[in-house]
Amino acid sequence: MSNAVQMTGRSKRRWLLSFSLIPGAKIAAIFMFAVSGAGAATCPDADPQALVWLEKMSDSLRRVNYHGVVTLQRGDDMQVMQVSHTVVDGSSYERLTELTGQGARVVRTGHPLDCVHPGHKLLRASTDLQAGRCGIAEQYRFSVGDGERVAGRQAVRVRIEPRDMYRFGYVLELDRETGLLLKAETVGRGDERLEKFQFADLSFTDSGQDAADVNLVHEAMHPHPEESQAGNGVGQSWRIGWVPKGFVTTDGARDDAGRKTFTDGLAVFSVFLEELAREIRPGEGVVRNGSTTSYTRGLQLATRPVLVTVIGEVPVNTARMVADSIAWVP
Amino acid sequence: MSEQMRESLSAMMDDEAQELELQRVLSRIEDDGELRQTWVRYSAVRTVLSGQQVACPGRDISGAVRLALSSEADGHAKTAVNGIRERVLRPLASFAVAASVAATVVIGGQQLARISGAGPDSGDRVLAGTASPVGMVNSLGATSVQASFGTQAVPVLQPATRTAYRELARQRMEKYMQEHAEHAALNSPQGLVPFARVAEIRE
Repeated sequence: MSNAVQMTGRSKRRWLLSFSLIPGAKIAAIFMFAVSGAGAATCPDADPQALVWLEKMSDSLRRVNYHGVVTLQRGDDMQVMQVSHTVVDGSSYERLTELTGQGARVVRTGHPLDCVHPGHKLLRASTDLQAGRCGIAEQYRFSVGDGERVAGRQAVRVRIEPRDMYRFGYVLELDRETGLLLKAETVGRGDERLEKFQFADLSFTDSGQDAADVNLVHEAMHPHPEESQAGNGVGQSWRIGWVPKGFVTTDGARDDAGRKTFTDGLAVFSVFLEELAREIRPGEGVVRNGSTTSYTRGLQLATRPVLVTVIGEVPVNTARMVADSIAWVP
Repeated sequence: MSEQMRESLSAMMDDEAQELELQRVLSRIEDDGELRQTWVRYSAVRTVLSGQQVACPGRDISGAVRLALSSEADGHAKTAVNGIRERVLRPLASFAVAASVAATVVIGGQQLARISGAGPDSGDRVLAGTASPVGMVNSLGATSVQASFGTQAVPVLQPATRTAYRELARQRMEKYMQEHAEHAALNSPQGLVPFARVAEIRE
């Protein structure tokens, strides 16, 4: 038995209870394959309808004007925040204001609409499929069904099941009209719900009332997808020998940068390397918060003591294996 | 160690391994030093995650492994493998856990205090020559012991070890979460929402 088959078997066993194929979607899939030719035949169980929704979701996040109130639940903690998104002259203006907790505001201004970062490129799955590439459908199994009502809007439900053990599953509710992501649940092993994001209130207008008392304003960075960034390096080039299939770098981080970040379109993780001044005996520690894993490993990397930290919305086994594969580039 | 082996091992630690994978890992473990070490590391994480106490630190693993391997060689492959879960894997795992503790850094109360007491500037990158944010073992008087498989007794280390590494992971999360969020916000489908995962946003 090939390993691929075993992996699929394991993944099915884990998810079978919660993810069953929706008959309608399956029929649609078969129909689409019949008309879309040889390219699509290489991804036999990709659901074209789901991939169209995925692409629409990514697109609407950039192009639609909206403002509303969002809740984010992680474990016992719930945050409430206002979000708004406005497009002016081909650039988007985004704002997130925390109504609970720290009361911070994050803004991103003048982000060109045609600046598409690697994660969103991966969500252009429908285009991939038409071009004969499986894209994100190689990493996840998608199915579409009727959604619930979220923030007064009718939703379409997209269930996303990972094909291997290196990522989480998701249940997304998208606005039937615009494709905007209204609700997202991140699901871990054993159907554990790790995080829930949801609009409580939503309007599709330019800007909302904003009377929130803000304690701090942070201008979001814009790491360029390709150009390398200035910043602190660790002094020597290092590489990550293994990342799960389908993950790509998010920016043009230098080979000796202290951080490298990867995305598969849905999940993101960052790897941080610190060179230590003194010897450290090998060991590791893990902390989880909602869907986020922080995994720290102390080790000798070719006689040099380092601390590797993997932070991201991935399972701990992924973080562990990524940290395992780090090496200096001679 | 092949990626396939790595996956099998990871699955084993998650109790998700199928019989063939178990067999594969067990048949290689004697010859593959890297595989053994990875096993030890994975076990450590598993222990950390489950909050288990470490049991039977001095247990000899090699006999159990050989038992498993020889049963296979005897041609009782099917029964042997079925029995592996009950007879071998558990004691094997608990030994690996014990051994992994020996390989784990020791950070005592003194160093922990230093970590916790670090000022707001502790978020700066650590440069060679400056004080390390990681508690070092020297002042604790703990003996350095290589992880080994049953040839030496493994000293019992303080529970503080596990706690210290967890604390380190927690601090690194605090330190790096915002930088991670900057990238997550541009490369995942929730817009700026990843920033809401940051405990304390800095300007």
